[in-house]
Amino acid sequence: MRGPGPGPRPSRVRARGATIAAFVALAPLLPAAAVAVGTLKVDTALPYVCTLPSGPQAATVRITAAFPERVAVGEEIRPTDVTTTVELPAAAVADLTVLEAATVRAETRLTVGVTQNGQRAEATWRGTSPSLDVPADGPLTLTTTGDVPILTTGGPGDLSLTAGSLGVDLAPSTADGAATVPASLSVTCVPAEAAEGRRVLATVPVSPGATTGEPSAPPTPSTAPSSSSPSSSPASLPSPPPSRPTGREPASGTSGASRSPAAGRTADSGPQAADDTAPGTGAGTEAPRPPAPTCRNDKPTSKSLTAYITGYSNVRKLNGANVIPVSCTLIEQGDPEIVFLPDGVHLLQKSDAELSYKGRRQTPPFEATFLTFGFAPTTATLVLEQVGPMAVESDILLVFPDNIAETYIRAPLVLRVLDVRVNGTRLDVGPSCRTAKPLSSPEPDPAKYPGDHLVLLGKGQLLNGTDASGYVLTSGGPLTGEVTIPAFENCGAGGEDLDRLLTATISGPGNHLKQIQGQTCAVGVEVPTEGQCTEDRQPYVVPKPAR
Amino acid sequence: MKKPMRNVAVVAGAATAAFALAVSPASAVPSTVWTVNPSPANFTAVNSGNIVLSVNGIAMTCTKSNASGTMQSATGNPATVASISAIAFGATGAPCTSVLGNVTTVATTPWTVVAQDYTAATGVTKGYVGNVDAKVTVGACVFRVTGKASGTYTNSTGALAVNSLAGELTVVSSTNCGSAVPVGAKPLFKGTYLVKVAGSTTIPTIVGSNP
Repeated sequence: MRGPGPGPRPSRVRARGATIAAFVALAPLLPAAAVAVGTLKVDTALPYVCTLPSGPQAATVRITAAFPERVAVGEEIRPTDVTTTVELPAAAVADLTVLEAATVRAETRLTVGVTQNGQRAEATWRGTSPSLDVPADGPLTLTTTGDVPILTTGGPGDLSLTAGSLGVDLAPSTADGAATVPASLSVTCVPAEAAEGRRVLATVPVSPGATTGEPSAPPTPSTAPSSSSPSSSPASLPSPPPSRPTGREPASGTSGASRSPAAGRTADSGPQAADDTAPGTGAGTEAPRPPAPTCRNDKPTSKSLTAYITGYSNVRKLNGANVIPVSCTLIEQGDPEIVFLPDGVHLLQKSDAELSYKGRRQTPPFEATFLTFGFAPTTATLVLEQVGPMAVESDILLVFPDNIAETYIRAPLVLRVLDVRVNGTRLDVGPSCRTAKPLSSPEPDPAKYPGDHLVLLGKGQLLNGTDASGYVLTSGGPLTGEVTIPAFENCGAGGEDLDRLLTATISGPGNHLKQIQGQTCAVGVEVPTEGQCTEDRQPYVVPKPAR
Repeated sequence: MKKPMRNVAVVAGAATAAFALAVSPASAVPSTVWTVNPSPANFTAVNSGNIVLSVNGIAMTCTKSNASGTMQSATGNPATVASISAIAFGATGAPCTSVLGNVTTVATTPWTVVAQDYTAATGVTKGYVGNVDAKVTVGACVFRVTGKASGTYTNSTGALAVNSLAGELTVVSSTNCGSAVPVGAKPLFKGTYLVKVAGSTTIPTIVGSNP
């Protein structure tokens, strides 16, 4: 794949060429929250000029594909039913017959420009054709099909896809099935001048909302989201850092997660007031629980809680936002204690937590597809592994009539790379490819909390008799932080060292993180609160990533 | 524990100001005949404004709460003029909240409405909600509150304004709540309910007299 112009890539990465794509880590994990919307079908025929051994020739390239009619930020744009048809003129056929070719197979590489808000990236749509007979005379029509990269963006705005140059690799065979000499013929085609103004294949509106809000199509954050890519150039698509919960508006900040229809329902024997429509009437309208990985504590104590957490992470280097998938956290709730400090009465609570996935302290593996300027699209399978204790510490200042809470979650996590695929080709990263150190964050109290660890802060408050808002301990809410992704080590196999590539591409400071914790399930209490636990005492509430 | 108690006292003071509450000695001869109209009748009550339970300065807010029960004329002083057979705190989609997390309150009923003092000029009955018994859960912290909560009932509006005084409610058991909510803590319960005869828009009245 060749871009139309030189991109601002680091030279050391450029040296690796297009085979190794820049891939972004931690963050770019947008869930495949496919909300069924209308389909935009594209069928475009464009004039191209192809450079054949015999000289430039006019050709017609027809591209068909289907796109979602519109998406929300973070949702996939997955082109489907993609075909590329090249009608090569008779002269091209002559170039083949010179080689005594009887049949030919073709591989196409269509460069598709992706633009949004003035930012540009490129994708390569690859396709292959079955073996075709070479006609005795007349044009040769090659139709190729194949999977193409999925796109996801971190910001709203129309996203346009534009047809660019087309590479056609022909593999001719002689009548007896042997390869011709030479065995292949590469043809480069570019849009003809007459194609100008017609090269836009599709424009997909990307709305700021997380979902379209259509009740008939509940979003389905998958447990291992195949994910997405910021289709952004290094110059930045707008993927704003997660905003902090302001919490100043009552009942607004407690997040959808903790105020889901099922959460916190009380006393279902409660009376029905004549003029109150709320109690007892909501049951029929509850959304089904989205799928989520198993999250059970099989040896609970009376203090055991379980909760899901998920959210976006930005990778600053690539200006992309991604999703860390719905992950299970097991918590042992600490006792809340009253402490008198010089500035007032505090309520302190320290709880221990750990990630849990199939018995291991980690997130589920998640796939991230990255599309970066000038490089081939890359899919990586990643996992965040917990390598030490995770502490959840809340400090609530009790100042009548308000309660102001700050909760710090500290967790040493390493980012492990399980697998990398570049344009579908596996790049062997080896079994131990991971960050050399745990991810780190600016630590407000480094003397008390030494070592590298991620720091997330949740702020919550309850003001003068209004609802609590923001992050509240057992009901969750938004947690934000900033993370530095350290250098990678042990990446590569067979003598190929991928450490520097991954480090150059991904590692760095200032990556914003916004995670949403859902309502906890108090596993060990006698009667779990309805709506907080499933029947087998897993967290009922599955949070959705939010910006 | 001293300091938070003082905070709580401040809470109570500030709260009472709004409602002119308290079980003060009757200005005249105490009522011994309590005429409820209609009687007997079923009633419903829905919160007007938020209901707040606080313990040691930790506030728990319910934006939705409702109750139902029966009411009937009675004699004596104090006299039970109503029985609350069900009371809910929070509702689907609107749980009670606190900075410790969402709060679940399950009441053990019946609770009572007890009349003690009537002011004919204002149509206001002073008394309390009695036999209060509720289990409160926040995450793994579970505690039980029992006691009573002072309040007033105003005939013109049907407003049952509950504003408990320090010491009326007590935490009698507590698990996983640490020193935030120990046994013996004195929670406060504050909020207003609008009462209507069930299935109607009729506001019931309570009139005390001393024949």
